[in-house]
Amino acid sequence: MRKVSFVLIALLLLSGFAFASGKAESAAPSDPNTVKVGLLCIGDENDQGYTYNFIRGRDEATEMLKADGITVEWVTKYNIGEDATCTDANIEAAEEGCQIIINNSYGFEPFMLEVVDEYPEIEFISCTNCASAFDGRDNTHNAFADIYEGRYIAGVVAGLKMQQMIDEGTIAPEEAVIGYVGAYSFAEVISGFTAYYLGAKSVCPSVTMKVSFVGSWSDATAESDAALALADQGCIMISQHSDNTTPATAAQSRGVFHTGYNNDMTGIAPKASLISTRIDWGIYFYEAIKAYVNGEEIPQDWCKGMDEGAVVMTELNEAIAAPGTAEKIAEVEAGLADGSIQVFDTSTFTVGGEELTHAFALDTDGDFTADSEEAVYDGAFHESVFQSAPYFTVQIDGIEWLNAAY
Amino acid sequence: MSDTRTPLIRLAKRTDMDRKKIWCIRVGSIIIALLLGFIPILLTGNNPLSAYGVIIQGSLSRPIYFKQTVKIAVPLLCCALAIAPCFKMRFWNIGAEGQITMGAVAATYFALFWSNRLPHVPLLLIMFISGAITGGLWALIPAFFKARWNTNETLFTLMMNYIAIGIVAWLQGGPWEGRKGSQLIPMFSDNARIPTVLGVHCGWIIALILVLLMYVYMTKTKQGYEIAVIGDSVNTARYAGMNVGWIVMRTMFLSGAISGIVGFIIVSGANFTLYKGVANGVGFTSISIAWLSQLNSFAMIAISMMLAVLEKGANTLQTRMQIPASIADIITGILLFCMLSSEFFINYRLIIRRGGRKEEQP
Repeated sequence: MRKVSFVLIALLLLSGFAFASGKAESAAPSDPNTVKVGLLCIGDENDQGYTYNFIRGRDEATEMLKADGITVEWVTKYNIGEDATCTDANIEAAEEGCQIIINNSYGFEPFMLEVVDEYPEIEFISCTNCASAFDGRDNTHNAFADIYEGRYIAGVVAGLKMQQMIDEGTIAPEEAVIGYVGAYSFAEVISGFTAYYLGAKSVCPSVTMKVSFVGSWSDATAESDAALALADQGCIMISQHSDNTTPATAAQSRGVFHTGYNNDMTGIAPKASLISTRIDWGIYFYEAIKAYVNGEEIPQDWCKGMDEGAVVMTELNEAIAAPGTAEKIAEVEAGLADGSIQVFDTSTFTVGGEELTHAFALDTDGDFTADSEEAVYDGAFHESVFQSAPYFTVQIDGIEWLNAAY
Repeated sequence: MSDTRTPLIRLAKRTDMDRKKIWCIRVGSIIIALLLGFIPILLTGNNPLSAYGVIIQGSLSRPIYFKQTVKIAVPLLCCALAIAPCFKMRFWNIGAEGQITMGAVAATYFALFWSNRLPHVPLLLIMFISGAITGGLWALIPAFFKARWNTNETLFTLMMNYIAIGIVAWLQGGPWEGRKGSQLIPMFSDNARIPTVLGVHCGWIIALILVLLMYVYMTKTKQGYEIAVIGDSVNTARYAGMNVGWIVMRTMFLSGAISGIVGFIIVSGANFTLYKGVANGVGFTSISIAWLSQLNSFAMIAISMMLAVLEKGANTLQTRMQIPASIADIITGILLFCMLSSEFFINYRLIIRRGGRKEEQP
């Protein structure tokens, strides 16, 4: 018996020691110019895409705030699922003293909203979703950027390249086919690829597009397979709304061109990737955290565009882009900024052969079908005006959905 | 037989060890596991003692953390209870994951489509019962094939998991999807959520009641005895006139039903929605718990709590020290490995051949 009690006492001592030597309990910082912010991510920076883009925004905002004399203590949590683990992660971040908690993925929002009432003094932000802004709570917020503007310009770059190939006689006009790897047939994706297509069409009138949905936001193999299949079906330009870089490498392996999302992909596919567009989250993080420290309200629904730097283009791959592309980008950027170019100009596309005259933006009764706020006016569909999250879900002519199962 | 070479290491069953020694080995194995756990933490460049401290603090030091820990332990405990009778019978049910999932599907159906038509308590009762029946029926399928055609239950129950998860994936993107393309089933209304007692959903009460019921069932009832006899020897059971096929199906239905209840508790008490990862590995982790506790209901409480402490603590470990959660998974793995192997050394003796001299055959 003595042996047993000896071992038990040793164990007890060990656990007591562990208890005492544990890192001090975390709490909110007492210095008013120091703020503790939680960033909950669906992936980690190794995706070189979606989450990497957030981490980049985090670091950028930290630098900008430092210049203003504000110190940010980040608590970054990676690889959180769009499930109840997200609820737990929000509780954890709140208990560990975070004053602002940023959820980086669309699917986090419903799980985040389970927690927010327990912590009224903490600000919760759901990026890319749309329920927090309208839920009547003061401490929940949404944020997104006018990424369709960046998509449109990426489309212009792709269109110029295809038009160059047509002009040089490399392809016939009807061979200008874009293959688009989309995650799901979801408003954000539909809005993105339609903007991209319209950008391409504005400089290459004969262009058509095929969209393949892979059924996942992040599945490197499926994205690559979809891109390869699209190339084999005659697509000469690949673009993507998915988290990985594999569509770029797939495009290069088939000798076709590519434009990317979230990150510059010219490094891994220098012979294929022309340009990428991404949201610069640093702009938003800076504004939100700064507002918090100054005792101001964080906007309920934040959305800014290219002219304010919230959407940026990565560096153009001059070696393979069509001549004059850089000038055209500058011209379109200026047009978007002064309003002379509307991305969803209803005179530039048709739906079932007819011009789009009516589409609702918001769903107010919770049945997941938009039922209020007319988005079509002044000759254009106005995206991201009534809420930051995209709501363009119309299937326009010229874009073929290969599989709408997702 | 005398000229066969004795192998270098032989195993012999032993029954002679006294309780004191057994417990020394068990406690020792935990200490060894904790010491081995130093290695991965050191590799991440952190102090192992403070890491263990954070694990304990993050799981037990505040009421909310303790509640979170209990929330993790409840499904583990219930599911270990569900598996116990099957394992006692030596029927290797590794399909609890799928049975949980199907129970969750049934409960979710009523939560989504009946919550505005039924009052709170009847709705929850229907969710509970439908979860149990669906989980039970899902488990009955492999049991039926086993009883009728003696199919391999290990593979069969394993495969059934993937079918169940596939069904949920389809529901998630298809008929039950909320916002188009979002892959998310809407959250349950408050009507379809089980109430909390002392800050944790009342699944913990269900779990403790199940512990008692399962203890009584396994040790005091005729059915529990039948299960034990089949586990010891199917032929003895047959000779004694037991209908083995029937007992196998009955026990599997019971096991699946409890797993189905776990599914109900998870969706209605913790997640408030359904997704394909609803079982989240509980069906597999609980196999280790059932084994470690040697199918003793009360021991399962302690072991599921221990694993929950590690899991919850790992979360805080990641938050405070930026140690990846996978490091905590490694420590959990080491712990389970050491504890399971200690049971091995308690039950078996290693006999190493001495140089040159042949051991006498017993």
